Amino acid sequence: MEYSGEGSAQGVFSCELCGLSTPFSYYGQKPPNTSSIVLLEECYVMKDPFSPEKEKFLVIGSHCSLCRKRVCVGTECSLFYTKRFCLQCIKMHLEEFPQEVQQELTKRKSVQKND
Amino acid sequence: MHSNRESNNWEWDNPHNRALLDEVFFREQDYIRARSEEHKEFWKFFERFQRFQEKREAAGRSGKRREDEGGKGQGQGKKKASSVDLGLPKEYDPRYRINLSVRTKDIEERHSSRHRREEKTGVGKQEVSACRLGLLHFIDFTQKQSFGKLAKLKKEQRNLPIFQYRDKIVDMVRAHPVVVVAGDTGCGKSTQVPQYLLSAGFSHIACTQPRRIACISLAKRVSFESLNQYGSKVGYQIRFETTRTPATKMVFLTEGLLLRQIQQDATLPQYEVVIVDEVHERHLHCDFLLGVLRTLISLRSDLKIILMSATINIKLFSKYFGSAPVIQVPGRLYPIQVIYQPIPQEEQPSRSEKLDPRPYLRVLQGIDHTYPPEERGDLLLFLSGVAEISTVLEAAQAYATHTRNWIVLPLHSTLSVTDQDKVFDISPPGVRKCIISTNIAETSVTIDGVRFVVDSGKVKEMSFDPKAKMQRLQEFWISRASSEQRKGRAGRTGPGVCYRLYAESDYEAFSPYPIPEIQRVALDSLVLQMKSMNLGDPRTFPFIDPPPASSIETALHYLREQGALDSQGELTPIGSLLAQLPVDVVIGKMLVLGCLFSVVEPVLTIAAALSVQSPFLRSAQNNPDCATARKPLESSQGDPFTLLNAFNEWVQVKSERGGTSRKWCRRRGLEEQRLYEMVNLRRQFKELLRSHSLIDTEGNSSSRQDSYQRRQRHGERKQLHRLKREHEKQESGKRKVLRLEGEESGSSSDEERGRGRKDNAVDIQDVKFKLRHSVPELREAAASSQDLSRRQQALLKLVLCRGLYPQLALPDEHNANRKDSDQIFHTRSKQGVVIHPTSVFASDPEVLHIQEHEKKETGPDKEESSKHQILAYVSLLETNKPYIGNCVRSPALQTLLLVARSLDTNADCTRIVVDGWLELGLSDAEAALRTLSSALQLRGSWERLLNVQLGSRRGDEGPTGPAVSSKDVAKLADSLLKFLLYIEISYSLRRLTGLESQNLYIGPQADPGLPTLASLFPSADAEPDPVKGGLKVTSFFTYNCLSGSKDLYSDCLRSFWSCPHCDLYMPLTPLERMQHEAVCRPPGEVQLEEDVSEQPSSKARSSTALQRQYHCDVCDQDFEFTSTEILKHRRQHQ
Repeated sequence: MEYSGEGSAQGVFSCELCGLSTPFSYYGQKPPNTSSIVLLEECYVMKDPFSPEKEKFLVIGSHCSLCRKRVCVGTECSLFYTKRFCLQCIKMHLEEFPQEVQQELTKRKSVQKND
Repeated sequence: MHSNRESNNWEWDNPHNRALLDEVFFREQDYIRARSEEHKEFWKFFERFQRFQEKREAAGRSGKRREDEGGKGQGQGKKKASSVDLGLPKEYDPRYRINLSVRTKDIEERHSSRHRREEKTGVGKQEVSACRLGLLHFIDFTQKQSFGKLAKLKKEQRNLPIFQYRDKIVDMVRAHPVVVVAGDTGCGKSTQVPQYLLSAGFSHIACTQPRRIACISLAKRVSFESLNQYGSKVGYQIRFETTRTPATKMVFLTEGLLLRQIQQDATLPQYEVVIVDEVHERHLHCDFLLGVLRTLISLRSDLKIILMSATINIKLFSKYFGSAPVIQVPGRLYPIQVIYQPIPQEEQPSRSEKLDPRPYLRVLQGIDHTYPPEERGDLLLFLSGVAEISTVLEAAQAYATHTRNWIVLPLHSTLSVTDQDKVFDISPPGVRKCIISTNIAETSVTIDGVRFVVDSGKVKEMSFDPKAKMQRLQEFWISRASSEQRKGRAGRTGPGVCYRLYAESDYEAFSPYPIPEIQRVALDSLVLQMKSMNLGDPRTFPFIDPPPASSIETALHYLREQGALDSQGELTPIGSLLAQLPVDVVIGKMLVLGCLFSVVEPVLTIAAALSVQSPFLRSAQNNPDCATARKPLESSQGDPFTLLNAFNEWVQVKSERGGTSRKWCRRRGLEEQRLYEMVNLRRQFKELLRSHSLIDTEGNSSSRQDSYQRRQRHGERKQLHRLKREHEKQESGKRKVLRLEGEESGSSSDEERGRGRKDNAVDIQDVKFKLRHSVPELREAAASSQDLSRRQQALLKLVLCRGLYPQLALPDEHNANRKDSDQIFHTRSKQGVVIHPTSVFASDPEVLHIQEHEKKETGPDKEESSKHQILAYVSLLETNKPYIGNCVRSPALQTLLLVARSLDTNADCTRIVVDGWLELGLSDAEAALRTLSSALQLRGSWERLLNVQLGSRRGDEGPTGPAVSSKDVAKLADSLLKFLLYIEISYSLRRLTGLESQNLYIGPQADPGLPTLASLFPSADAEPDPVKGGLKVTSFFTYNCLSGSKDLYSDCLRSFWSCPHCDLYMPLTPLERMQHEAVCRPPGEVQLEEDVSEQPSSKARSSTALQRQYHCDVCDQDFEFTSTEILKHRRQHQ
């Protein structure tokens, strides 16, 4: 499968948390044209629109490993720590995560408040 | 420990070491390839990454214990005890945050086995894993970067006011053939609506823009936003450039170009959706396009039309399209405070005076007093014209040198592109930009960061005076709509202030909308285009706002006069050709005429040069260095020749290796951009002429190149493409910081340095130029038109004059006694025009004067000379004075006799009135007759050859009709040149007074004596002229119709004459003699002549084409006679 043709969109990905929506061209763990890279989760992938090279891909989102919600990879919606977690699930299970992740989340929250 | 040390010894910077790792991670088939841009970035990233790792390791060792304890404490304390075990590793590692892995196992294994034997030099496991980790983080980093861009873009899109209407717009378009989307500045309609339609599944979308520049920038923006920056889904198409491919679903193009496409195929099958943007601006082409689209709807029920407009006069558009639904979108403007500051009486400029800058300076001062310099925000000042701008600019600059917190910049369309671009640069902190602009900044140019707007309330607008056939640039009050538009420029990026230098009552009195362009310009080209699109009678075309009926009549009359329409108002062959050319009728004519003779190359250049703005910058005229450098380019023959020289020289510079044309242009005060436009336009003309078989479709030179040249060219092109790509990469979003005036010791030297630096950078225009054009081919063309022989020059001039006709001007008879600056000229419809100061004849008027020794007094107010000259001009524009621009001089008598539409004579042809306004007086009757007679013959054969040429191209398919024989053309050129260059005849030349031209003709005569002559003429329509009297001999020549001639019957007087070609010697009337000359040829030439006049359609003619049926009433017999034979025969009976 290739991204190149304009009509290769598989469908439209839309994040169930922030509403970000954009067409994707591949779902899975092995983005096309890239033999040396394997994704560690099943991802929604598009050709990287900001790169002139057509084999460069961009991971847009995947499913939360707990609630199976479709979420984008944006830091306000999900986080990857060996698996994908949506922010709602992380909040519920915050204690399961190592200190570094927890700190990062509280820091981010305070930054958001200051915005 | 051992391995650790080894790792420390590993030199990451060592290129050899890096190369070893490159073999593992960055192979041809890998995600990142060695030597790519990203590969370079990776190693840079890697260095930072390692430093970061080291720091963290150091910090981690000391902080580890505490953290561990804390973690444990919390872990034990958790109460909620989530029911699921997420199975997460408790030991945090940044590696776990990355959702991908890099597989290089195969090569690694090979490497490690190989390197085990040469352990000292090879890559160790440790290095490989360090590099892999770096690579993982790098890919993760680039992913985050790209996703960040994507998220930002999507967020901005969602925040646009129009986003709420997305579904509504799509639904409406699905349901209705025509939809109006109205929204003010900043609502996002121009960028978003096309995308909404694209993602709703529409394709084949055309979106028109009034300006070329908007086509390019919108195509760029929309393809970026629709995540197709590197694809070709979204493209643009403008006059010389297109990014369109078969994959293109949406194209931005100019209104004019879409009209041309409709001209090609009236049903516009290539589009499914047409978006017409900025309809409220009411440009000529846009109004016309709306009319055409309205008629198209009935033919194309599947076509979707979307009109986009500011919230101005929306009802008009909706109503025009049968009450089309309107979607109104609020704009996004910050609040703007309006301050009315009318200019006090004593500071108001009177008509003749310069503008008083004081009211404008007060605003600058006011801003300085009221707003602290830390609060950023620039000032945009709207004035009516260039003169006004320089007045205020001067004063504001003086103020700025004093206060040192303003940078003052002018902005108008005659500035060089570089100078125009300066308005987008940023000012240093604490300093504001003050941009003094024409209404170009109202819509065409959008400058960010403007907080203050000063509105003079004035605009200069072009209008057309059909009576004087003259453009007029006049100052008007603006409309309320423009006034609001100007105000809005202050509120794009934050709250703003708008100072209106007029009273609120003035504002109330403004007209609500600007006058549509169609109501105030000449409609020649429009009407011609309408004719060629088969749109029926232009008088009844359903325009949204019909132009004045008189404008259409003027245009129709003009087109008839130019031969583009016949007397029934139908398109002539030349007319249909002119309609294909995207230029003024006169320029088009020039091109067609040029094709016949061997002057195509220079005519192409001149036609292109006259269709773009002059490359000679006005500002450089006062610079003595520029003036000196320009001197060698100037031609005393006229401005078109100067332009030709400039272009040819420029091509020469371009073709020299390493020659920098940019520098060459700067020295001469030339705007290179215009030259690029010229070369593009020139090529377009050439292609058009070729596609109409008007010039040979010679195998283009590339096919004639040998393989070595081809390879060389191929290599060159590759290199050029690379340069272009590099440039595009660098160019994104660069903005320079402006320098405060006078900050540096020598501003000019600094400027030079700045420019010098730029010279080393890629000259992208040059790259594009070389990609698009074959320089050797251009050089060849330039060389062929560079050193024109006297003959070529004369022929070229004749082509220009006939093209430009009736745009002719006569020098005033007293010019020789006037100062250089007071030289005046007269056109047929406008007296007392002056030459534009940029013209060569403004600086060197003597070449138009007749020297004392070249003239002789022949009576009161009558001076005869053989050196009279007239000017043909391209433009007549009235600003403070009526100016003629782009002039060429030409010998008066010869030119007039060859190009004028109407020549009227007295009986012995010593008095010739040209087009009812110029009188040629020739005291030598014999010479007068000879000259007029040869002019008639020349025009006859010229016309014939032109018709053959135009006719042959019309042979729809298959073999074309009789082609023009080059022998005939050469002969005609030769005869024309003899006529132009070697006729030495003294004559007087003057304008007729008003009274004289009123009583010019004798009028129809009852005398039956004249008609008998009619039988002598081969053209059956030689008959008494019903208006002028006399005898209408050809469409342009009426004999003996002038009143006030000595003797009405002198036409019957015969004098003995011997024909130089045959043995005829007998008494003939002037007309009889001309008639004989028209058909009598030297024996050798007869054969040639026959070939030309042999028309396939004509009835079988007897032995010679010169013979025709003649019925003699006296002998009551039919003869096959030549005209001379008829004369002889008739003489027998007398």
